[in-house]
Amino acid sequence: MSAADRTLWLSLADAPAVDLGATVLLYVLAIKLQRRFGGSPVLNPTMVAVLFVVAGLELTGASYESYQRGVAFLPFMLGPAVALLAVPLFRQTALIRASGPMIIAALSAGLPCGILSAVGAAWLFGAHRETLVSIAPKSVTTGIAIGVSQAVGGVPALTATFVILTGIVGAVGGPAAARLVGVRDERALGLAMGIGSHGIGTARALRISEIAGAFSGLGMSLNGVLTAVLLPAAMTLLHP
Amino acid sequence: MLLAAAEAICRIGHLPIPGAVVALVLLYGNLLLLRRIPEALGALADRVLSLFGLFFVPAGVGVVAYWPLLRADLPGILAALVGGTITTIAVTAVVAERLGRPKHTQEAADVGR
Repeated sequence: MSAADRTLWLSLADAPAVDLGATVLLYVLAIKLQRRFGGSPVLNPTMVAVLFVVAGLELTGASYESYQRGVAFLPFMLGPAVALLAVPLFRQTALIRASGPMIIAALSAGLPCGILSAVGAAWLFGAHRETLVSIAPKSVTTGIAIGVSQAVGGVPALTATFVILTGIVGAVGGPAAARLVGVRDERALGLAMGIGSHGIGTARALRISEIAGAFSGLGMSLNGVLTAVLLPAAMTLLHP
Repeated sequence: MLLAAAEAICRIGHLPIPGAVVALVLLYGNLLLLRRIPEALGALADRVLSLFGLFFVPAGVGVVAYWPLLRADLPGILAALVGGTITTIAVTAVVAERLGRPKHTQEAADVGR
């Protein structure tokens, strides 16, 4: 690459439209790549696109800050996208009404399990208190997790990081884990994906089937709201 | 017809933290009242939700900035993220399937397939 090429490339890399366009393109490429390899869950499109973008930023030497400014539209779109989950939920209304006991069972198991397994595992390996508190709300959707983290004295930025990584782990390994323990019901799988790994898990569930996607969105929403109310209350009881 | 979605979007702007979840509930309530999904909204939802994973890419890229903080407690964090998340999904799915399946919901599930 000549100096002139490099200058041109850098000026392009700093243009917001390029950041956004490249991210969308890389995500579509990641989906194609996954299809090419028979839909292997290890090639989760979100994760692969993140790796592509990080590689691109490192190679071009573009700054992460200017990248985040360039793609600010995408996190903004997350809100409307979550709201649009109402559509698959509405299409599955009859099934949701018939699944009350399952939804209650999933939340009663999944909400405490998500928090205790994370805090317990980190504590066993001697993580700092700051890490323990920040990792507690890792299974709920980012916006709620950050609020909860603040409320219980965690580090919001660290929590956001844990939330994203949790989503990727759940999206990659969740369905295989559920299959391994003999779960066949797509509603149970969807609820577990949404409760255990929020939106990124829901993205995976939506690709499995509309039933899994609808129940995942439902699990994510209910778990998020209940955690926002219950976790700070539980912390106050433990440390008055 | 896109008004319902647009309305949800603008409500997000006015509500505190779980705004997106509140908008979801509002939109769902709206659909219950309508008793059907407007065609344009259905098409929009299908298109946007097929790209759901895309909206998390910038946040994933942001993780790189916290690498020094993560490294300090790496074993515990890995155990919590991988072990904790996989355990949670497996346990939740099993409990949901076993406890949440009295006979009368069995039929509903089979119809839904």
